[in-house]
Amino acid sequence: MDLQTLLSFHWDTMMPEFIILISATVLSLIDLFIGRSFSRKFFGWASFIAVVAALVSLISLSDHGVTTILNNSYVFDSFSIVFKAILLIGTALVILMAISDKFENIEEVKSEYFYLLMTGLLGAMFMSSSGDLITLFIGLELLSISSYILVAIRKENSKSNEAAMKYIINGSIASAILLFGLSYIYGLTGSTDLAAVQQIVSTLSGTELSGLLGLSFLFIIVGFTFKIAAAPFHMWAPDVYQGASTPVAAFLSVVSKSAGFIIIIRVLLNIYAGAYSPDGQLPLLINMQNYIFTISAITIILGNAVALMQTNIKRMFAYSSVAHAGYILVPLAAVSPLLFENIWFYLLAYTVTNIGAFAVIQYVVSDENNENIEAFRGLYKRKRSMAIALLFFLISLAGIPGTVGFIAKLQIIASALANNPINITIVVIMILGTLVSYFYYFRVIAEMFFKGDRLELQPPKNEIPFNLIVVIGVCVAATIVLGLMPNLALDNFYKLFS
Amino acid sequence: MSSSGIVFSIIAICAILGGLMMITLKKVMHMTVAMILTYFSIAALYVLLTAEFVAVAQVLVYSGGITILMVFGIMLTYHKAENRDEEKVSSFRKLITFLSVATLGIVSYFLVAPVDFVAEEIFVGDHTKAIGEILYTNYIIPFELVSILLLVALIGAVLLAKKDKEEANE
Repeated sequence: MDLQTLLSFHWDTMMPEFIILISATVLSLIDLFIGRSFSRKFFGWASFIAVVAALVSLISLSDHGVTTILNNSYVFDSFSIVFKAILLIGTALVILMAISDKFENIEEVKSEYFYLLMTGLLGAMFMSSSGDLITLFIGLELLSISSYILVAIRKENSKSNEAAMKYIINGSIASAILLFGLSYIYGLTGSTDLAAVQQIVSTLSGTELSGLLGLSFLFIIVGFTFKIAAAPFHMWAPDVYQGASTPVAAFLSVVSKSAGFIIIIRVLLNIYAGAYSPDGQLPLLINMQNYIFTISAITIILGNAVALMQTNIKRMFAYSSVAHAGYILVPLAAVSPLLFENIWFYLLAYTVTNIGAFAVIQYVVSDENNENIEAFRGLYKRKRSMAIALLFFLISLAGIPGTVGFIAKLQIIASALANNPINITIVVIMILGTLVSYFYYFRVIAEMFFKGDRLELQPPKNEIPFNLIVVIGVCVAATIVLGLMPNLALDNFYKLFS
Repeated sequence: MSSSGIVFSIIAICAILGGLMMITLKKVMHMTVAMILTYFSIAALYVLLTAEFVAVAQVLVYSGGITILMVFGIMLTYHKAENRDEEKVSSFRKLITFLSVATLGIVSYFLVAPVDFVAEEIFVGDHTKAIGEILYTNYIIPFELVSILLLVALIGAVLLAKKDKEEANE
């Protein structure tokens, strides 16, 4: 391959990635060369601007058409555009949150924070636009390693150290199992290019080899369920969310989880939808559907049930995010025809509401210096705007009509039932799980609005930082506007996919 | 069993043995040596597959680099070579673990056993050149991504190991 061929590719479709990569590198170099006494306050805003610039360039590229670079190792299609948009929005909001995140004895936020968030984002973006197993896996590892460091960044905190240790050990095991499963695919097909793999696996139908393909499916699904924190591989989530600082917990629960779903869709639909079961009757994905179904059901039940018992707000949100992973698995378990749309819209809804909720949590927890649910007691009387904002996020997470969370859940349920009435079981589990989730979400609401004696309540010590006002404002607006007019987002989605 | 099958079995058993010894031995230094056994066996497997370059890289990077690094790490940090408290694991847990591993083994065996593997054509030629060419053309994106991955790991290591401002001033 000569330079001519290499330059003939549409490298301009990689613009968003280049922006993130260059600004992360430049920031790390600036961090290296400016003196210790120099303020690093601008790092947060600089990286926020970089992520927004990447989002703008992604939108401007949206009518570029499908492009592939170097045997599918980079794919630029509608799928990657819509999911990258979620990743970029999520990270931009998390970076804004991180600007005012305080460490125990350090006044200023660590500068590494921001470029590690950006390299994590870079890994997630490559995962969403890759058609090659190697690039997918390296993107996943880039995201994982950045996350491990982000969790460990509060060095003085013993909880954080414990969380980082658990996360890195469990995460490495999950990666190893995933890689073992992927090696089966390479062994069976002799290719890592998903398009080529797809062609070859369709010829394996009815042979013994499709049994091995089924085995690889099991290994891969184990690796992926860890990444999205679905049961029974969710045990790391509560410890890590509790140990990590709040913006990092938000990053893990939103960006990392979205990236996990992106890679699940890419790999499962590309490889297993086209392969056939050993008897040659059904596509392997349908044949193995029961596994996804079981994982989804256990995740919903376990996540919601255990969330009921939590007293720490971050642990409660960790289990709630486990339950949400279960909901998002429902379209996959039901093999809904509108799978892309359902998962995408749910992830979008989950991104804006969950980051908003974490932003309120960050403010209240750092103000009260208390991570228990009691920290929210009488918040309505102390800081009215915060209580009302959190109310919107909680009812959206619970799925009450009028919010974006309701629309997202409704879509999943409707299309699961439309596809096949047999899916009623998983839909019933999902609805029951949602009902259970009302209890723990409403417990926080009750704590905020109805508890606390007016005389005993102390007004908050700190004002709300400007960056948190922006995050919460954007998230509240998105929660309500998309709840009332979901077509604002969905029209753009359809425009890209038509 | 063919001759290469016998050689393969011996090497594979050595590799597994090294792994088992690694997790059962008491002294950290002995564990490191057990790891070297596994690394060398895997390198031997690569030679068996006529992937000489990968085999040499395996010996250089794993048996050489990583093991030396581990030895230095033990020397610099681990002062008491043997202070692991024997942790009691309930026999119920052991049974469950054994049963699940055994199930996986049996299932894998029955899935692999009936497959009639066709021998792949052996690549004749310059391995290093072939790997280099494909790495710098078709796989240039993942290759560059790995360099960012290493950079992130490096930054992370420095970040977690360095002293903070306050500590450094003291």
